[in-house]
Amino acid sequence: MSLVFDVALAAGLVALALHVVLTRDGKGAIIAFIGFGLLLGIGWARLASVDVALTEAAIGGGLTGMLLLRTQAHLAGRGVRPAQTGHPSWRLAAAGCTIVTLGLGYVVLAFPSPAPSLAREVAGSLDATGLGNPVTAVLLAFRAIDTLLEKIVIILALIGVWSLASDPNWGGSSHLRPASVPEPLVFLARMLPPFGVVIAVYQVWVGADLPGGTFQAGTILAAMWLLVMLAGLRPAPETRAAGLRMMLAAGPALFLLIGFLGFLIAGGFLAYPEAVAKPLIVAIEVALTLSVAATLGLLVAGPPDKEPAR
Amino acid sequence: MADVLTAIALFILAAIALGLFAVLRSRVAIERMMAVQLLGTGGAATLLLLGAATAQPALADVALLLVLLSAFSCAAFTLGERGAAADEPAEPGQSS
Repeated sequence: MSLVFDVALAAGLVALALHVVLTRDGKGAIIAFIGFGLLLGIGWARLASVDVALTEAAIGGGLTGMLLLRTQAHLAGRGVRPAQTGHPSWRLAAAGCTIVTLGLGYVVLAFPSPAPSLAREVAGSLDATGLGNPVTAVLLAFRAIDTLLEKIVIILALIGVWSLASDPNWGGSSHLRPASVPEPLVFLARMLPPFGVVIAVYQVWVGADLPGGTFQAGTILAAMWLLVMLAGLRPAPETRAAGLRMMLAAGPALFLLIGFLGFLIAGGFLAYPEAVAKPLIVAIEVALTLSVAATLGLLVAGPPDKEPAR
Repeated sequence: MADVLTAIALFILAAIALGLFAVLRSRVAIERMMAVQLLGTGGAATLLLLGAATAQPALADVALLLVLLSAFSCAAFTLGERGAAADEPAEPGQSS
């Protein structure tokens, strides 16, 4: 029975993906893409990768959709027409995607069996970190350097987005609120964020022992923040504000600090003494969550387009 | 028991697929947005059933996120609506 379910799910994903690519109307494609992200979340859950399912639902079903909708609204406002299907560049992209898909399919089918895996070593050393979720242990203890660089990369991406602002707007704020805000949106923006904040706090806390973690929680917080700004309940912050910039840097800075502290107290960069490994990891996670939330929120909000107040 | 739960999940998945087929083909933009809501609620139901069938309580968290973010995406849909309304004359069914 579960095989029938998996086949149906895979067929649904392929059909929805084809719809996203082939549909002619931009907004319809974006909506189908958001739906695709949500459905893909179920797919990851079926593969027993609950951490990935949470991330996919949060990023694919939430923030990416809003990013695309904002871009589409921006292009429509400027009167830019999307390229028509059947254009030579479209065919080139289709050929490229087909080759990549076939290549990936070949690689997946050619996997060695049994696959080389470090899962046993991770499960064996899990006790040393005090954590119960092996994914969090890999992300924040065994391969912490990757996570650290990842968090710094999203800040670099944000600087890239900001640098698209025109000179007078540098340090200003983004304009998110549409000209007319429908009443139901204001209602939603008052009702949803309290739930979202509770779910985000729960995700950070539970991430130490069960699926969940900083990135998912940060994405939820960013989404709730964007909702409040979108409904005009709070204006977008000025990007030159010192508090905001400190919040952006605090997570990676604490991570680096604890990383260098590892030389003194545990004999290596990003090493934790066993006795306090879990408190240190949870502290890093909390700080990272706030930084990720601020970074992702500002990334979606886009380059500042209002001059800073004098 | 697990088989029964998976069968119900499959039934809901099929219902979502039929609903998506109808909603995504609609000419009214607001109705297409309902596709996201449909996947949010239907997907949450599917995940809860699968979580019970495979004894993975963590799937309830994924269901929670699905519902939360589908509501958020619906709000994001209002972006650029003003421009669209100015371009096209009143869309049918929007007043209801």
